[in-house]
Amino acid sequence: MLEAKNINFSYRRGVPVLQDINCKIDDGEFVALLGHNGSGKTTLTRLFMALDHPRSGQILVDGNDVVKMEPADLADKIGYVFQNPDLQILADTVFEEVAYGPRVKKLTEDSVKKQVDDALEAMELTDLSQSYPRLLSFGQKRRLGVASALALGPKTLILDEITNGQDQAEKVKMMEYLQALNEKQGVTIVLITHDMDVVRRYARRALVLTDGKQVFDGTPKDLFEGSYPVENWGLRRPLASVLAAAFQVSAGNCHEFCAAVTKEAK
Amino acid sequence: MTAPVINFNEKLVLRDINLAVEKGSFTVVIGPSGAGKTTLCKAITGIVPYYMGGSYAGDVEVLGASTKGKRVSDLALKVGLMLEDYESQLVSLTAGEEVAFSLLNHGFPAEEVKERTSKALEDVGLPGREDYQLDELSGGQRQRLLLASVLAVHPEIIVLDEPVSAMDPDGAESLYALLSKIHQEYGTTFVVVEHRVEFVLPYATNFIAVKDGQIAAAGTCEEVADDVYADPELRVLLPELWQVRGELAAKTGAQFSLWRKPADAVDELKAQGFEGGVQAHA
Amino acid sequence: MKITAFSWIIITLAITAWVFILPVKAVATILVLQLVLLLYVKHNRMMLAAIGGLGVFTGMMVLLQMLFGSSLTVSLIGGLRMLVMTMAFLCMLSTTKIQDIAKTLVDRFHLPVEYAFMLTTALRFVPNFLEDSSVTLDAQSCRGYSNRANALQHLLSYVVVIRPLVMRAVAKSETLALSMELKGFGANTYKNMPREQFTLWDLLALLVVVVLSTYPFWAKYFQ
Repeated sequence: MLEAKNINFSYRRGVPVLQDINCKIDDGEFVALLGHNGSGKTTLTRLFMALDHPRSGQILVDGNDVVKMEPADLADKIGYVFQNPDLQILADTVFEEVAYGPRVKKLTEDSVKKQVDDALEAMELTDLSQSYPRLLSFGQKRRLGVASALALGPKTLILDEITNGQDQAEKVKMMEYLQALNEKQGVTIVLITHDMDVVRRYARRALVLTDGKQVFDGTPKDLFEGSYPVENWGLRRPLASVLAAAFQVSAGNCHEFCAAVTKEAK
Repeated sequence: MTAPVINFNEKLVLRDINLAVEKGSFTVVIGPSGAGKTTLCKAITGIVPYYMGGSYAGDVEVLGASTKGKRVSDLALKVGLMLEDYESQLVSLTAGEEVAFSLLNHGFPAEEVKERTSKALEDVGLPGREDYQLDELSGGQRQRLLLASVLAVHPEIIVLDEPVSAMDPDGAESLYALLSKIHQEYGTTFVVVEHRVEFVLPYATNFIAVKDGQIAAAGTCEEVADDVYADPELRVLLPELWQVRGELAAKTGAQFSLWRKPADAVDELKAQGFEGGVQAHA
Repeated sequence: MKITAFSWIIITLAITAWVFILPVKAVATILVLQLVLLLYVKHNRMMLAAIGGLGVFTGMMVLLQMLFGSSLTVSLIGGLRMLVMTMAFLCMLSTTKIQDIAKTLVDRFHLPVEYAFMLTTALRFVPNFLEDSSVTLDAQSCRGYSNRANALQHLLSYVVVIRPLVMRAVAKSETLALSMELKGFGANTYKNMPREQFTLWDLLALLVVVVLSTYPFWAKYFQ
């Protein structure tokens, strides 16, 4: 469980990056963190991971204040996946890459193997376990990043814009992996993204930040089909929602919309 | 540009390419990852195979002349290129130097360099910033700077490889608005590789679909929309708006014009009598 | 008061010779002049950090020399000399544009254009690499690598950064090289860049250089 209480944060230059943030993310949630570039989304997740510490306010992970912690302490509770997969590659084989965390934590060799195998399986990378990570395709590298974060068995995953640069098929696959982790293993997913379509289809909760302030906390459906000023917040309505709202039907994706307006029987 | 076959690095990346890009068009290249779109871009600018190696059969003709034997930097005067990693394409320390670099290398006189530099910076929305250091510019501004340096040589074609892959919606919209403005004002031919086609849809005139190294479809928007939809495998490459258009047309037999933005779809559907009212459970 | 890059290069090279031929008091005076210049040009944290860094480095060299048996005086003088030499380069870099230095090296000192351009490229990409390395260090931390334990472990953590950074550097340099090729980089690049104007100050500076460099010859007349 992640909790932010009265958070205020700014980098050295003094411009406030986060102001009065209060939010709580319970176990098992699938949350999308949205906002324009510079709105504070990444910063908030960095605070959760103790990569930075707030000026004022409290960050609690599973009830414990992280003010004296460093990211290594949270590695087995939160898995953090950065935006650029190349910068996160630390080893020479996929197996070793995923094993990095368990080895640093000095788990037994058997434990290491088990953790790695589970993580690789969840992201369907088992066949590539002896490959050289830098030669993988971009989509595979992204999956490797997630697998590496899963290696220590964290209950929460924070993912920074992992759908960037991927084609539709890859995006859907990645989201399905995350959905499986969330639904079958109860992993909390916190997803930073610009992809509104993905948010509408997979996330169950949307948190919107604008200029460091929280402006929305609710379901993606309400966000996109309601009358919120999403454009002012730097977001766009997914096509399905625009059409659904215009015709007063409910549709999570375009197929549902088409079915609804052609009055097909469900 | 036509090129029957292009080989690269002994692995067949592109084959049987018979392609013509219309002058003055705003052509969008779509296709799954790894299909060969980036290689296609590089072939148009002559980088493949002359700079990067690989071999090819057939001919690549740009602006009526074959690219065989041409210097890559001479071609660059006619065909500008912006890769996904635009950051690494910037070579200088200040904005003015960056834009002037190519001009100076090709021997343009100092007065003209100054003029073109200032005009190019103005065109991209960075007027008067010649003395700005690179680190005083944001990521989006740096992208525009690269665009300015490409514009300064007055190319006839500009090729961009996924220019907005990491941008937020506001940034993406404003970049394409800028490209469209340049397209209108100068008549430059644009070839853009894009996954997030919804942003480029209002401006596109032609589409090229690449799949497994081959051209799966090519033509004007009107030609492509219906044909590509007809093929279930290619359908998912289309902009979502047109997938909806195709699906509704298939289900009801109705005819639709070519929508450019969601509002177009809403207006036409309403005009044709579509309505909701049936509350489907989400 | 602007001196061309050419003059600066001459001055800097001259200083490296002067530290050995001029008496200690003169060398110390040069040091003071250098500090005054640096702080006049840019008195911010970075400058102080740079000067401080050089000072620390010199201090270490002095200690090392003493360890090898030299007396305190000799070591200090050696340290002074080194400090003045390195400060000379710092002075040059702080007062002159890199482009001008590169152009002078190509035009007057016949350095091949590719090497000269390395100066600009290095400066251009250092901030990028610093940023990239901080991401890799963060990623390492997030996977469980603790930074607390001891200084040695802290230092070791930087080792992991090297490989991803080098890979990235190679990839970026490919794109950069391509870009430079497209922009027509070559023998003409520096030829066509605007040339600095030689002024009276340059003449004065070069005169000073000549006078000080011939010190051994006319010093005895003043003894």
